[in-house]
Amino acid sequence: MGSGGNSGGIGVEYSFKNLPKMLPGLLLCAVFGWAALQWDTTMGGWNRNFKEAEKVLKAVNEGKAPADYAEYKQKHADGFAKKTEEFKAAEEAFKTAKAAGDKTVKAPKKPSKPTVIAESDFNSVTQAKSIPGNLKFGNLMISFQMTYVAVLLLVGMLIRNTIGIAEVFKAGTVAARPLIKPGIIILGAYYMWSDVLKVGVFGLALVVAFVMGTQVLISFWARRAKVDPGLAGVMGAGVGVCGVSAAVAVAPVVNAKPRDFFYAIGTILLFGTVGLFTFPYIGQALGMSQPVFGAWVGTAILNTAQLVAAASWYGHESLLTANVINIVRVGFIPLIVLWAIYFYVVKPAVEAGHEGQKINVWEVISSKFPIFVFGFFIMVTMNEFGFFTAEHRSILAHELLKLFFAIGFAGVGLNIAFDDLKKAGGSAFIIGVLSGTLKAVLAALAVMAIGGDAFKIKG
Amino acid sequence: MSEQSTHNAYEEKAKSTFSAERKEDWFVLVVAAITVALVLTGVIGPNFVKSLFFH
Repeated sequence: MGSGGNSGGIGVEYSFKNLPKMLPGLLLCAVFGWAALQWDTTMGGWNRNFKEAEKVLKAVNEGKAPADYAEYKQKHADGFAKKTEEFKAAEEAFKTAKAAGDKTVKAPKKPSKPTVIAESDFNSVTQAKSIPGNLKFGNLMISFQMTYVAVLLLVGMLIRNTIGIAEVFKAGTVAARPLIKPGIIILGAYYMWSDVLKVGVFGLALVVAFVMGTQVLISFWARRAKVDPGLAGVMGAGVGVCGVSAAVAVAPVVNAKPRDFFYAIGTILLFGTVGLFTFPYIGQALGMSQPVFGAWVGTAILNTAQLVAAASWYGHESLLTANVINIVRVGFIPLIVLWAIYFYVVKPAVEAGHEGQKINVWEVISSKFPIFVFGFFIMVTMNEFGFFTAEHRSILAHELLKLFFAIGFAGVGLNIAFDDLKKAGGSAFIIGVLSGTLKAVLAALAVMAIGGDAFKIKG
Repeated sequence: MSEQSTHNAYEEKAKSTFSAERKEDWFVLVVAAITVALVLTGVIGPNFVKSLFFH
């Protein structure tokens, strides 16, 4: 759910009738997403070549460099051929051991093609003893984490708030954001149930402690501080669970005032946006491993699109962990609505001596549960039963995933409007910033104390 | 706006939001199912994504 899910509530409904309205913006996001992935491909290639050029330069300085480019290329080709032979032998041994029921032998890893720099780069390194500027640039961009995720979010935000996007594209850019969800589903091909259950148990503990905790804390704090119950209810759901979706779900239950409701939405969006752009750098500064960072953003960032973007920005392992925590988190939306009904409607009525309203628990759960998570569970089950080969997993959970995410993140970036963020204000701002920050700090301490092993997805 | 009409407006907003989200969820499930089918049948192979970009 989260912003992926929110989009439905912001004016665009998926239907054939709306397709002409959505198509221009969807195409814009596809082109923008492609451009960012092309950037990623180019920068990644330059970064790999930079590292190889560094090795060549070191060899040159030590007087061990190949005599010419042909010798350099041949040396790599021979090395790769040798590794491939060793892999084939290891694969045969693995198959034999597997057939004999020996589970102690591990599947060998296929050797990847070696990085070989272009002749012009080789000459530049060996003759001028300098690494070409484009390779240095690629290395710089990767070290600053300027991947396709950062490009889509930063450039998208820049476009939206400077030249703006034409009206004809707006509906489609909103509709592009939920395309992150098919990515989340197909990522399921990478997990075994043991991973999901292991990380899910920790995720459940984190969600109960921090997500439900935030909701409960805000409810009681607001009552003591005599904050309007409507505002407190909306903020508790929004800051605690799932951003705008949860706030929209709880607003009618708690009778939020229109002004407070819009302040709340603005604050939730502002906090999520600030978190999205700062958490990857905070994680790096705190030395968080990828699984720990994934667990942190899964708990502390308020909605799916933003946390998936932040986790992808940090790295694939981080995404794998964040995805499981997020699945657990969005499953809590119906429970948050139930809590809001109990705390703001049933309890006050009973305290006032009236008969409490009956809660139709099943109706709330069935109408509010985000059913796309079943797709993820089906994928994990298919992987458990061996439907996917290593190649399938790589295509689904690495390559196609990026295509979906790129289009979705393009939609996210192009919809970060400063005008929306300026709507943050009033008591909602104070409640949101204080509770959101407190949750983020405590969650960071908790996941760092638990450590990376607990959150690591082995696949 | 009276309390009742505000409540009704939110009720309507919540209903339309969750109805749209439910449609959206079905849509993404279908997209994911088609994608998986294409990969399992080999229509989308290991070079498909690479072929979309300049190297």
